[in-house]
Amino acid sequence: MQPKLFLLRSKMWAVFTPLLLLLASLTFAQVSGKVTGSDGDALPGVNVAVKGTTRGTSTGADGSYKIEAPSTATLVFSFVGYTAKEVAVGNQSTIDVTLSVDNKILNEVVVVGYGSQVKKEVTGAVQTISAKEIKDIPVSQIAQKLQGQVAGVQINQTTGRPGQGMNVRIRGQLSVSGGSEPLYVVDGFPITGNIGALNPDEIEDISILKDAASTSLYGSRAANGVVLITTKRGKSGQTNVSFNVFTGSQVVPKKGRFEMMDAVEFAQFKKEYYEDAKQPVPIEFQNPSQYEGKNNDWYDAVLRRAPVQSYNLTLTSNKDRVSTSLVAGVFNQEGVVINTKYQRYALRLNSEYKVSDKVTIGLNIAPQYVFDNTPRTDGDRGTGILFNAIHTWPVMPIRDDKGELTLFNRFPSSTGNIFAYPNWVRAANELVNETKQTNILSNAYIAYSPIKGLTLKSTFNVELLNQKFFFFNPSTATSAINTAVPVTAVSIREATDNFGWLNENLATYTKSFNNHNFELLAGYTNQSFRAEASRIQADTYSDDRLPTIQGAINIARGGTLSNVQEWALTSLLSRLSYNYKGKYLFTASIRRDGSSRFGSNNRWGTFPSLSAGWVVSDEAFMKNFDKISFAKLRASLGVTGNNNIGNYTQYALINNTVNAVFGNNVAPGAAVTSLANPNLGWETTRQLDIGFDLGFLNDRFQLTYDYYTKNTTNLLFAVQIPQESGFTNFNDNIGEIKFWGHEFSLNTRILDRGKLKWSVNSNISFNRNRVVALADGIDRVYGLHHITQVGRPFGQFYGHLANGVYMNEADLKSNPVVPGRSFVGTIKLVDVNGDGVLTNGGDRDDRTILGNPFPDFTYGITTNLNYGNFDFSVVGSGSQGNQLWVRHLYSTANLDGVFNLHREVKYRFRSEANPGKGFYGTTVGGGTATGIERDWQNSRFVADASFFTIKNITLGYTINKKNKLFRSARVYASIQQALVFTNYWGGSNPETSAQQNGQGDGGNLSPGVDLFNYPVPRTSTIGVNFNF
Amino acid sequence: MKKSIIFSIALSLSAFSCSEDFLTVTPETALSSVTFFKTESDFIQAVNSAYVPLRALHNINSHLLSEQHSDNARYVRNILFGATENQSNLADFNVPTANGITTNGNVLTAYRQNYLIIARANQVLALIDAASIPDATKRNVKGQALFLRALAYLEIARYFNRGPLQLTPVGGRAEAAAALGTGEQLYAQIIKDATEAIGLLPAKSAQEAGRATSGAARTLLANVYMIQKKWADAETLLRAVVTSGEYSLMPNYADAFSNSTSNKNTRESVFEVQYLEGSQGLNGTFLYSMLPFPISAAELVTITGTTNPQPLSGEGNNIPTPDLIEAYETGDKRKDATIGTITLGGALHVNKTFPYIKKYARPHALHNNHGMNWPIYRYSEVLLFLAEALIEQNKLTDAAPFLNQVRTRAGLANTTATTQTALRDAVYQERRVELAFESKRLHDLVRTGRLESVIKAYGDRVKANKARYYFPDAGFVPSDAFTLITPYYGLPAAEADLSPNF
Repeated sequence: MQPKLFLLRSKMWAVFTPLLLLLASLTFAQVSGKVTGSDGDALPGVNVAVKGTTRGTSTGADGSYKIEAPSTATLVFSFVGYTAKEVAVGNQSTIDVTLSVDNKILNEVVVVGYGSQVKKEVTGAVQTISAKEIKDIPVSQIAQKLQGQVAGVQINQTTGRPGQGMNVRIRGQLSVSGGSEPLYVVDGFPITGNIGALNPDEIEDISILKDAASTSLYGSRAANGVVLITTKRGKSGQTNVSFNVFTGSQVVPKKGRFEMMDAVEFAQFKKEYYEDAKQPVPIEFQNPSQYEGKNNDWYDAVLRRAPVQSYNLTLTSNKDRVSTSLVAGVFNQEGVVINTKYQRYALRLNSEYKVSDKVTIGLNIAPQYVFDNTPRTDGDRGTGILFNAIHTWPVMPIRDDKGELTLFNRFPSSTGNIFAYPNWVRAANELVNETKQTNILSNAYIAYSPIKGLTLKSTFNVELLNQKFFFFNPSTATSAINTAVPVTAVSIREATDNFGWLNENLATYTKSFNNHNFELLAGYTNQSFRAEASRIQADTYSDDRLPTIQGAINIARGGTLSNVQEWALTSLLSRLSYNYKGKYLFTASIRRDGSSRFGSNNRWGTFPSLSAGWVVSDEAFMKNFDKISFAKLRASLGVTGNNNIGNYTQYALINNTVNAVFGNNVAPGAAVTSLANPNLGWETTRQLDIGFDLGFLNDRFQLTYDYYTKNTTNLLFAVQIPQESGFTNFNDNIGEIKFWGHEFSLNTRILDRGKLKWSVNSNISFNRNRVVALADGIDRVYGLHHITQVGRPFGQFYGHLANGVYMNEADLKSNPVVPGRSFVGTIKLVDVNGDGVLTNGGDRDDRTILGNPFPDFTYGITTNLNYGNFDFSVVGSGSQGNQLWVRHLYSTANLDGVFNLHREVKYRFRSEANPGKGFYGTTVGGGTATGIERDWQNSRFVADASFFTIKNITLGYTINKKNKLFRSARVYASIQQALVFTNYWGGSNPETSAQQNGQGDGGNLSPGVDLFNYPVPRTSTIGVNFNF
Repeated sequence: MKKSIIFSIALSLSAFSCSEDFLTVTPETALSSVTFFKTESDFIQAVNSAYVPLRALHNINSHLLSEQHSDNARYVRNILFGATENQSNLADFNVPTANGITTNGNVLTAYRQNYLIIARANQVLALIDAASIPDATKRNVKGQALFLRALAYLEIARYFNRGPLQLTPVGGRAEAAAALGTGEQLYAQIIKDATEAIGLLPAKSAQEAGRATSGAARTLLANVYMIQKKWADAETLLRAVVTSGEYSLMPNYADAFSNSTSNKNTRESVFEVQYLEGSQGLNGTFLYSMLPFPISAAELVTITGTTNPQPLSGEGNNIPTPDLIEAYETGDKRKDATIGTITLGGALHVNKTFPYIKKYARPHALHNNHGMNWPIYRYSEVLLFLAEALIEQNKLTDAAPFLNQVRTRAGLANTTATTQTALRDAVYQERRVELAFESKRLHDLVRTGRLESVIKAYGDRVKANKARYYFPDAGFVPSDAFTLITPYYGLPAAEADLSPNF
């Protein structure tokens, strides 16, 4: 503790000493020496300054320096990432200094948009995560590692598909029809895709920019927040080689799976179904106990225990003007659904060469190959193998008497079997659904400092992506329910070629005088992107072994297309930062974006921001509060945009495949299918952020708080218009959504005593939204099971309020009914509008708001415990108050028994004497009666999906003894997705939600729908990190 | 190094100076309206697209709204299926309607697809007069657009007796909703369009088979006059069709309907919706919505003849009523051509033999994909219209031969009716059996003022003997069945939500 207290004192002295020192400096002498790091290697580029003056120099490549200084002076040695050191000159002419790596967070340099800042001087809402903090989490995607780590950022794993499905929302951002994913910027390059495929081991640190002051320099793409990713660089004077490897095993725990009937229970249900209908019981179900020991758990049958491995070799070096880092990674994951697989081979080479003191050039290049095969696991009853598997009658055999997989199963129609159920094990095994992706991300730059303080930097960045998709459905399997196998074999091939480039030209000028510190940034950038895609679908194969295009008898014209998507963006940007003594902080920035996506009348948008900060703890009056080690107030205001509006939305497009037929001839037809809007523009978000950072007890406790409020206006809104016009919608910028929220982060070092160290970091965020306006004359838009209505939160679940079943004649008589369809034992709904009749839609609608897919709050907690060479950490992530729409209940609680059923249906209403739990209704009456329960969307489909998940537990041991093999090594064991605490009953993943654009489940207007996606496995791993 | 920086800055500045070009990125794989509607081919393609919604309208939708919603066809519920109200309510005359608005999805489809025709026709009509294209093409295309607009408005008028009057292309949100026109206003517009179309369109022999003709426009206009009871006007038009020499009855009634790939646009055909079997997505599937379920592959293939029959369960069972079956006179050849029977081993009914609509059941290659056309106007209807128009004018002796032409082809003797009332009833009866399942029945009942009496009696019969009307044992006639017998449908709720005008 002692050295830190000393530092704090010296800081306070720093406020008063300059004057004294100036007076005292009288005689000058030559001082020289060498600066080294604590490992003894020379440190080049270290700033050496005479305290209180503007005189200074920096160390050369060998760490040496020379400077003129009076004997009364103090030399200040400072270097980014190291603790500054002050040495009084006195009589010494040689002063050698060893700098130690700085662990003090406030002096950390934070990567911000188009530059970096000392953390203390940051005025926006920025959170940084160092790769070190999340290195143990054995997953393929960086977003998985960030779960629970960042206040205000909700990261959900919506599917367990290897390499897929991370949903990242910063500050609850959403859009009526545009995208809501944040902008990802890798080494200064805003990339077009997400970062799912990026090798996490390439990452040095991540900055998440949340408020408008931090993001507005990204202009029309910034409204969803910005994630800046910096890849690994060589550290000054050091050469490091490390090798990380882990191997693990994944499994879907039995606990938490959606509960379906087994074969005996299902046969019993069917028996009762016919008994209750007073009909003869089909022979197959007369004796349910015959199925004892013959249960077919179709869901379990497509799952398996699956291995995962990762290997990463990292080399970083920074010597003799050359800085290099090389990362080579292999990730290999078999999925827990049979035949699913994800592999990634990634290389990254970052190098920088200091040509002279004034010129630096650099090149980063990161080629990558990703292979993914997932045979249509996700999706609803149409195509999703998992969704279909739970629906399959458990009395249907997976294997026949000879042990062969059945092709499909169908019971006689007298048993009420109306669907043929293909064998899902075959579907998973035999369907090919693979993507091969090769991409290269690269940055080249040259920086030139003609005079002190001025840096000119030009960058050229390229991203290339080549993706090949191949789907093959052989004749012996299918993922579609109600299909008798064999089927017509179908192949689909898609090829995508993306090419994007960005040129940025930036000038930065820094100037300090009399404690006034300025930094001015100006830039001009051009970016362009082009994607070319083609698709060929062919069917009817004579031989499943040869799924070539030429092997097909038919080319399906409807499944064949070519498509080009292109956009261009030109921008001007500028930022001025000013601070006085690092205490009063101001930043103003502006960006002007011209975009090809915007209508010809509205091509340029302007995105300004202002922010200010006050480091209160630097004030004299704070001296007396010595328990408060740091205090800063921050406020910011700014405008950002969302340009995820499609590339050609402004144009009226002609569809020239609206073909007519005359006789037996096709006559080409063309029709205008969308309306032009030359005024179309970006969605505008105005955001205010007020926050503070507090440190107590020498920063042992650090609290950060932010309040934000933002208004998104000019929503890109495909406003539905009356179809009498011949069009379904008009793309307009219209409407307004208000968002607001609170974010708290508390980082604590609870214990720091010798060998024992214990820290706990936690965060909690409250995000809210309300729809302020839609279009004039439109106060609501509907999703699939949702309503978005003015005055209420976005995307609320919508339907009828269920209130049990009609328990008896009196109940039926005294309550409103659905004319002709309500009987004793059928579902009882609430007559919301009080007109005495239950009505679904139209002018007498009884539907109402049923629930909310958005959480009351989300939170995360991370704890690290170190004792000697042992380390132990736990990461938890939670969400409270969010609900899910259990989409599959439409069929898994279908009382007609055409599918396997949710176990709870056992306790349905059977008669007045045997009303069960009075929740699920009677099976009697067929679709007329049971249909309401299923088809009239109601509150039974809404389930609480609050959860707290122990995302990761890791126990490690470090071998620090230097030996011939390695410098240090650490072995660890970890469990990922260790425990999920939830009341959610609709499936095993309360984080799930269907993800897609447009109108379907999971589309913008239909959030929070459980489509029974790929389960998120529990992964147990062991790993080793070597440092050489 | 300095040079390169200066170069890069210069490059950037030059890029900036032409940034408007840099920022103009037009779609490469789609046409935009800016460059379209210039050439002859553009206008032909545009009018072709106006025919396209007819495929959706008659691929079961019109059958549901005008045949199943009558005493000709029953909806046979498969009790294991839900989400059936959109169909069963039509058959049961309990379509939920409040304040002139209904949530029925089939009504919505009919409304939207007809307005899609209108919008596409409007697009052509707004630009074609000023286009510099050959005059013959201009007249032909314009005539087709007018005919299609008239046909779509006739459907709107018959279903709703009111509707927005859209006559120019919509360019933005502000103009999207038009004021509601009354039935009278809609018919006035139809008469105007059809009259103009007659003058522009070529006769059938001079037109590509399947496109609108002057004969089709005359028949459509006559249809309107029949509805308006302007018998003399109707007579004039119908006589022009008859004397044109362009049409005659096919000797064999079954040949009046197309096969999947042949016998299309015959000399009996005045106008029919064109489908094309195959993978281009231009096919029909309506036959599969007219079969009783559950049907095995072996049973199905006897009707469809496909190489890859799939068993069918589910919904969409539109079955001829016993009432219709009994309406055929003994010896009427049309009965066997129109209605067949099939026995379904897996049926959930005690009686596993069902009648089915055989009129369109023609063999085709692949499951659920056929090219049979759907008749809109046949020459036999022209003859029956003419007979009716004459009877209403009390020109009874002129009328009978036209009626008898139709009867003769059906293998029946001449009508024995002689009084105006008897002849009128004879024509009504003849229309029912001649035009069964051609989406005429509801409109005929409404036009002749018989809807309420006929359907009420029919409803009583259904309620009295549900098994006879194909209810399974576990099924039941809804308590509110046959409570909403109205001549017109409510306007669709989904559109009412969007339009300020209703």
